[in-house]
Amino acid sequence: MKVEAYLEFAKRAFSREGTYRTEVFTHIGSIVLRVYLIMVVWSALYRGNGVRQNVPLHSTITYLVLALLIGLIYNVNGAYVVRERIREGSIAIDFMRPISIPWYVFFDTVGQTGFAVLQIIPALALALLIVHVDAPSSIAAFAAFVASVAVGFVVNFFLDMMMATITFWTMEIFGIQLMVQFITSLLSGAVVPLYFFPGALQKVVVALPFAAIYNAPLSIYIGRVHGVEIAQTLAVQVLWAAVFGSMSFLLWRVGERRVVIQGG
Amino acid sequence: MARLAAYGNAYREYWRLNYLTLLEYKANFFIWLAFTVVYVGSSIAALWVILSQFRSLNGWDLPQVFFLYALFYMAHTLSNTFFFSVGQVPYQVREGEFDRFLVRPLNPLFQVLTQPGQNWPDDLLVAIVVFGFAAWLVHLHWTLASTALILGAMFGGALIDFGIQLAIATLSFWVIRFDSLRWVVMSLENDFTRYPLSIYNRAVRIVLAYVLPFAFMNYFPATTLLHKSFDGGYAVNPSIGWLSPVVGIVWFAGAYLFWRRGVNRYQGTGS
Repeated sequence: MKVEAYLEFAKRAFSREGTYRTEVFTHIGSIVLRVYLIMVVWSALYRGNGVRQNVPLHSTITYLVLALLIGLIYNVNGAYVVRERIREGSIAIDFMRPISIPWYVFFDTVGQTGFAVLQIIPALALALLIVHVDAPSSIAAFAAFVASVAVGFVVNFFLDMMMATITFWTMEIFGIQLMVQFITSLLSGAVVPLYFFPGALQKVVVALPFAAIYNAPLSIYIGRVHGVEIAQTLAVQVLWAAVFGSMSFLLWRVGERRVVIQGG
Repeated sequence: MARLAAYGNAYREYWRLNYLTLLEYKANFFIWLAFTVVYVGSSIAALWVILSQFRSLNGWDLPQVFFLYALFYMAHTLSNTFFFSVGQVPYQVREGEFDRFLVRPLNPLFQVLTQPGQNWPDDLLVAIVVFGFAAWLVHLHWTLASTALILGAMFGGALIDFGIQLAIATLSFWVIRFDSLRWVVMSLENDFTRYPLSIYNRAVRIVLAYVLPFAFMNYFPATTLLHKSFDGGYAVNPSIGWLSPVVGIVWFAGAYLFWRRGVNRYQGTGS
């Protein structure tokens, strides 16, 4: 694998994204309303019922606001391009190129994500005007959080990639993709922190791979996971990233062969 | 009279075609039905998780918040079923496709709303089932009055929804891109209506009650149906829910006049 070529793909994707300025404003602007909503709803819940699961209000708000911000990264969905290229048939030309398509898409997504990361700063600044967000407890905890988001990104990417690869078998993928998105956002802790799921169900959702996307980094950030548990959490995330990654490449291999055989 | 019959025939033909596409794309129909079930299911699941941990939200318990959601969703899907394609107007204006609605002898808005597509009442069916369940959970008394109020909220709510969509679509005759505004309105409609109005600050309450009156789609009818005349520290008129159809008709009428001005302007500069 020629690393320089792939890094170049990432760089190109980064500068390509910079041309869509209005979308950036929409993204960042949308954060304001949702941050306000988080603040109002969870303040009302805590006011009427007191602290639950030993997590104070400011931690829950921090968790959910940061979930919105890292959502800017996760929602890039660079694998989308695969669906389009299979639909149009131009994937056949990609097969002739001397590159690995899944890795190309991965680095393209990394580049787009690099641009999304830049949006986090103004979005965070806007959020801070509305609500208090806790600072990380230590530099080490923050470093672990960043590492955890990076692994979460890989898990999320390969999930998107697997969804996009299904297009080899059926074109009507959009509805299925959205369904998976809704389920993922609920089970990953993007809309409700996983520590609020009731009893046995909580054990189940925390053990599912979706937890590696939002719940793992955010639990580290707010300090619900600390000390040795941080290493454990990261290890489990890396495991899921490896599992999803291998499944994704395997699925791609099978789909690719299908196209080649049908192409004669 | 003959004109009205022409509209009636065209509309019937539109739904016949929709039905035929449904027969042709059966698998698609089931995928979208499954999609709707998952979408509604995950929204309800989120409310369930939150409210099984925290017992109430500003005095609203889980069945009541669920009822609020179901009432909104029913009006929203009613609007989507009949008026969904109004959302395509900005795109069609930008691409120059809108012109063909102006050269045909039927009302342009009527033509916008009867564009062929895969438009099926699958989500409306899900919404009605969900609402029936929510009504049972809150022990709603089904009387002539409560049924009338629910129907009024449903139709009035659909008109509010449609009126606001129409007004936004009409802006495209003047402004080319306004994605941010559309996003804000969509968020106010879909996210903010999930929770009782009483949790918001004064400015947001005013917007949702008077400016973009989404509160009349679910919150106000729900306070009337659930006898919440005092909610989260605010006095609520015990029969305010009856106003939903009025608000809907007024909003739709206003939006339609605005639309007419937009179409006239478009014709003026286009030729």
